[in-house]
Amino acid sequence: MDKEAARLIGAGIAMIGAIGGGLGIGVLVSGAVQGIARNPEASGDIQTNMILGIAFAEAVAIYCLVVALLILFVI
Amino acid sequence: MVADNTLATPEKPKKKWRYGVNRWFVLLFIILGVFANRAFSPILPHIQLPAERYSHTPLLTLPVIGDFYWTNTLTAAVLVDLILLIIALVVRKALNSGKQVLEGFAGAVEAFLEMIYNLTESTAGHHAKKIFPYFATITLMVLVANWMELIPGVDSIGILEPSSHGYPVESFLGFAETLVKGEGAGHEGSTYTLIPYVRTLSTDLNFTVGLALISVFMTQVIGLQARGVNYLSKFFNVKGLFSKPIFGVIDFGVGLLEIVSEVSKILSFSFRLLGNIFAGTVLLFVIGSLVPVFAQSMFLMLEFFVGLIQAVVFGMLTMMFMAQATHGH
Repeated sequence: MDKEAARLIGAGIAMIGAIGGGLGIGVLVSGAVQGIARNPEASGDIQTNMILGIAFAEAVAIYCLVVALLILFVI
Repeated sequence: MVADNTLATPEKPKKKWRYGVNRWFVLLFIILGVFANRAFSPILPHIQLPAERYSHTPLLTLPVIGDFYWTNTLTAAVLVDLILLIIALVVRKALNSGKQVLEGFAGAVEAFLEMIYNLTESTAGHHAKKIFPYFATITLMVLVANWMELIPGVDSIGILEPSSHGYPVESFLGFAETLVKGEGAGHEGSTYTLIPYVRTLSTDLNFTVGLALISVFMTQVIGLQARGVNYLSKFFNVKGLFSKPIFGVIDFGVGLLEIVSEVSKILSFSFRLLGNIFAGTVLLFVIGSLVPVFAQSMFLMLEFFVGLIQAVVFGMLTMMFMAQATHGH
């Protein structure tokens, strides 16, 4: 196989891990929206914690992205 | 009063505009964009992760560290510092004007800082005065650094450098040169790539790692200041080692894992910011070269929010880790 082709396939495979981040953010936001619907007065606190949690969950997907970008533009 | 006029005047002429004038400007710019793209169609620039150097000769050579080059992200760092200084001076001038309620830009900065101070106080309690400066500094600096990628000219104006995998060059309206689509003659020296004068600061790993190191190191310092030697028992948990033989050893192992988690904080801080903003710039490049007219506006809006959220998240996580370090458990 061509070296260039292997590189592109590798970058694509690296992004599979973004599934985890997507699932995590989905679960988080679903929980937060249910919480806000039950108790609208707590929406401020819930939103702050939700955004923090999203940042943590997103970080895992961002690692995949960094690996893919490293494969594409550095190696 | 002089300060009065400078703050109040920008508000007034806007009110005279009839509602709906702006939409014709948007339409005009879209049509102009179509013609501009027919003349000079945008290209996908050469993307690289390390910051570009202006010249191949080092600026100075340090004894241990080695060669030092002036990179385009370093220029961006200087610009970010200048912008922050200007913001500080504007707010200071407004504060000295003697008004009870600040207006305009200074009022917006005050409201923002008040919001994050209240957040700090509700999380960290009486340690808020010590923690708030790190939170505010990191948030403001990362915010300005992230929003730089939205300015036209950043990433797109720079020096042309001969390269084997570049694009041919054409004269642009007589006073400049621009890269255009096409294969070129194919031989070395006829195709060029662009080294931008200014590149978004957050796309440089040095900047994000530096901020993450400051954040994590100062977390330890604040923890030690607040709790003294007791803070170290979080890492070397020797209290239960003799009183309860089996669970004490487990607690000691858990304490050692805390050290690993502190180190991984540096990695997660730096790669989160770098990944988000670098991916954002690559997204803007790709969308700009695929759909040159108007489509990029929506992604600029997305990047506006990503930049804001990442700046607040970086600052807020720093604040929360510092608040955690001041609490016992």
